[in-house]
Amino acid sequence: MPTLAEPSLLDAVAAKLPAGSVAVQEGADQPTWVVRREALSDVARALHDGRETRFDLLLDVAGVDYPERSDEEGGRFEVVYHLYSVTRNDRLRLKVPVAESDAVLPSLIPVWKGANWFEREVYDMFGIRFTGHPNLSRILCHEAFQGHPLRKDYDPARRWILTEDDIYKPHFDLPEGEDDLFERMTVNIGPSHPAMHGTFRLMAVLDGEEIIASDVEIGYLHRCFEKMAETHNWQQVIPYTDRLNYCSAFINNVAYCKTVEKLLGIEAPPRAVWARTILSEFSRVMDHCVCNGTTLVDAGALTNFWYMFQPREEIYGLIEACCGARLTVSYGRIGGLAQDLPPDFEARSRRLLEIIPAFIEDTEKLVDKNRIWLDRSVGVAAISGEEAINWSWTGPCLRASGVALDQRRAVPYDLYDTLDFEVPTLQGGDVYDRFRIRMLEIRESLKIIRQLLDRGMPEGPYIVADPHVALPAKDAAYNQMEAMIYHFKLIMDGIQVPAGEIYSAVEGANGELGFYAISDGSSKPYRLKVRPPCFPIFSTFPTLINGGSLSDAIVSLGGLNVIAGELER
Amino acid sequence: MANLETKTVGESWVTTTFETLEDWAQRHSFWPFPFGTACCAIEFMSTVSSHYDVARFGSEVVRFSPRQSDVLLVAGTINDKMGPVLKRIYDQMAEPKWVISMGACACSGGFYRAYHVMQGIDEIIPVDVYVPGCPPTPEGLIYGILQLKERVVRDRRRAAERAKAGATNGKESASADAGRAVPA
Amino acid sequence: MSTLSSQPITIPKRVTPYRMGLSERLYLPLLGGLWVTIRHFFRNLFNPKGMPIIDYPEKRRAYSHRYRGHHILTSRPDGSVRCVACFLCAQNCPAECIHIEAGEHPDVNIEKYPVVYEIDMLRCVFCGFCVDACPEEAIIMSNNYDMAYFHRDQSIVGKEDLMKPFTFDEERLGYRPSYPEEDVERAKMRRDAFNLVAMAKQKAGEPAAAR
Repeated sequence: MPTLAEPSLLDAVAAKLPAGSVAVQEGADQPTWVVRREALSDVARALHDGRETRFDLLLDVAGVDYPERSDEEGGRFEVVYHLYSVTRNDRLRLKVPVAESDAVLPSLIPVWKGANWFEREVYDMFGIRFTGHPNLSRILCHEAFQGHPLRKDYDPARRWILTEDDIYKPHFDLPEGEDDLFERMTVNIGPSHPAMHGTFRLMAVLDGEEIIASDVEIGYLHRCFEKMAETHNWQQVIPYTDRLNYCSAFINNVAYCKTVEKLLGIEAPPRAVWARTILSEFSRVMDHCVCNGTTLVDAGALTNFWYMFQPREEIYGLIEACCGARLTVSYGRIGGLAQDLPPDFEARSRRLLEIIPAFIEDTEKLVDKNRIWLDRSVGVAAISGEEAINWSWTGPCLRASGVALDQRRAVPYDLYDTLDFEVPTLQGGDVYDRFRIRMLEIRESLKIIRQLLDRGMPEGPYIVADPHVALPAKDAAYNQMEAMIYHFKLIMDGIQVPAGEIYSAVEGANGELGFYAISDGSSKPYRLKVRPPCFPIFSTFPTLINGGSLSDAIVSLGGLNVIAGELER
Repeated sequence: MANLETKTVGESWVTTTFETLEDWAQRHSFWPFPFGTACCAIEFMSTVSSHYDVARFGSEVVRFSPRQSDVLLVAGTINDKMGPVLKRIYDQMAEPKWVISMGACACSGGFYRAYHVMQGIDEIIPVDVYVPGCPPTPEGLIYGILQLKERVVRDRRRAAERAKAGATNGKESASADAGRAVPA
Repeated sequence: MSTLSSQPITIPKRVTPYRMGLSERLYLPLLGGLWVTIRHFFRNLFNPKGMPIIDYPEKRRAYSHRYRGHHILTSRPDGSVRCVACFLCAQNCPAECIHIEAGEHPDVNIEKYPVVYEIDMLRCVFCGFCVDACPEEAIIMSNNYDMAYFHRDQSIVGKEDLMKPFTFDEERLGYRPSYPEEDVERAKMRRDAFNLVAMAKQKAGEPAAAR
């Protein structure tokens, strides 16, 4: 397959553009083009529509601040687009330098609808405007916030107070027609609301029972993860990553540690990889349990909540035996694991494999063929695969719309290419199929775990033995001078990661969880952007619920598995 | 915050028995308002689930309505965007009401010394019990609820003693003895 | 061997929702669901010990001895604090919740000791990084999770409170550098992996020394 760095493909895309609009950046971890701002819309359209390229999924839009870069060198800011082609399984990064004096870019919403919220976030964090954006307003920070926090000259602890006068005013795409005041009512749901899915604010314009326009406000859990990553060293970011998708915290640890390991050019030892895979799959089971349990609570089926929380409690026992915490584990370390596995790890895991299916089957018997649930969920908030991809969906929600995209298959990492498991897909694209696909995935995860346990635990160390990356074993540190010195330097100075950038993704429980990390050679990340899987999924929510009733809106929210820690970082 | 005004006129065995009964009923039937935003909300969900079952302590009913609940259980990070919402919910609750701050983020901002995170909810509302942990285990949360029970009794007893000591000063000293955290 | 990696991915343009069968339309599967809940009900009624509930505070869940709970400052045989105020724990803490003030120790081999050692329990995220960082095994964590405070200032725990553990039972210790179940072979392997002198000799081509 020709790579995108090849001149022929580049020429095909840039043929009609002025010379010098697109340049290839050499030496990057994945094909990277530097695109001039004026050519951005044309390049994006060509990449999306072209038959040889077909970049239909916009993964992420990140802003980066280089305050020392002058306007002649390109400008202070750089907006980085990560593109993915679902059919060709190919990746491309576009970098667009932007000067501070003229920080405007064309919006790419006409090409990828999923760019909507990503562009709002870049505006919020950096102050770069996007022309043609229907609602360019702050998305994560509150309305009284002044300044752009991810700029390098913004003090991380500078806060602004929000009062009730400054609260975000909704932006509705009202359909044309008479504005009959007696028929329409605008309802505000949240941010404190009875649904079990975190804090968000839904403003819906109702015509009777039907929602004719809606808007969503997020940012109620914006905890400044990316700024905290810039103020702490690489190892200290690990507890912060736990709190991203807190329902399956270990997967975030693994995704982040793999990103830094790739930058360092090291690999975790086989024992750590084996354990990481098993615990990631258990975390996936946990996340799907909580998603389905809370969806059913929102629909009124409370019993299933108790049933679905039991597997979580049992898995907590295993995870707690490994690392000492139930939920926010911080068990991954750069280079492997924080501590060795407990001696009864295999016995505990096998016991879990025996007891979890019973709870899943109980819930399925209660709900799967239950006409009450079917009436509430079949056909609700349906989205086709093609449209979902244009909205940048990934993960189980996309697989419920018929697209078998799974990063564990597309770019196999850890041990996934040696394992036998299915990637289930369903064709309905509605709440029912999103619910059912999570049940199917729980079964596949248990199958993966069983295969790994049957292979046996590999012997060997649980963390890489490089003293510049991993803390030495404690008895070595107590007894040997060199180990003590390395220990001291690692804690005081941190891991020195060589300069470079990388985008690394794993299949999280919600979809593709990616980290875009830029290192400047020091012990702290220069820029760490999280590609949150539920961010573009939730941006589709207003479109999904238009035309439905309010109760449908609540149920469809559940199926999307929006986890606020990841949505708003 | 508990309603500490005790009747100084006509205090007799009828009213003191009634107050004891009222205390007993109140502390054995906290109806929490789970203001859950983040990871602590998941541990709160575990607390109401079958393994720990906070219903054993009288919190059978978990109401998402401030008018119907008496304990505001803030579970998770509160940031500056959420601040006005939290204050409004707290104001809407009827007396007597208590606040449990669950988890490091709600108590003090946790490790988020950042531009959008409130450094503890006691910046805007008074807190009765702080439960540390990140997140606290369900047992830790239940321990906090048990401490709150003791506090209900203790505050009532202290208010009664104060009222007996000086009838005219009863009101001021009762509220000064609220034991609320004063925001730094 | 995975078979799906070579299959091309199809992108449907339309949705095909689930179609209900006859028995589903007649609400018959509800009887199966009722059976599930009735089974649970009678099982719990006649076998209350089989219920998963843990009657805290009368019973406590058996957390492992890796549990990250309340910190403990360990002491030397003579009872003084083992900590040498090296500040590694304060440096490594992501929440910056450890506050240490160092003082000079009369014994010149020990050099320093903490005059003030405070942990703000309400800032602490119980990540265990302080235990990882300590080179003296001076700070470890216990199995204790019963913590609740009425005032913010009660939560700043000082040296004396950290040094007196709530129990002297080894079973109630938590996250610490070595555990009783760790077998000798794995401990040796961990140590060998960091035998830096042998590693350097190996790189230089000298024969590895016998252990």
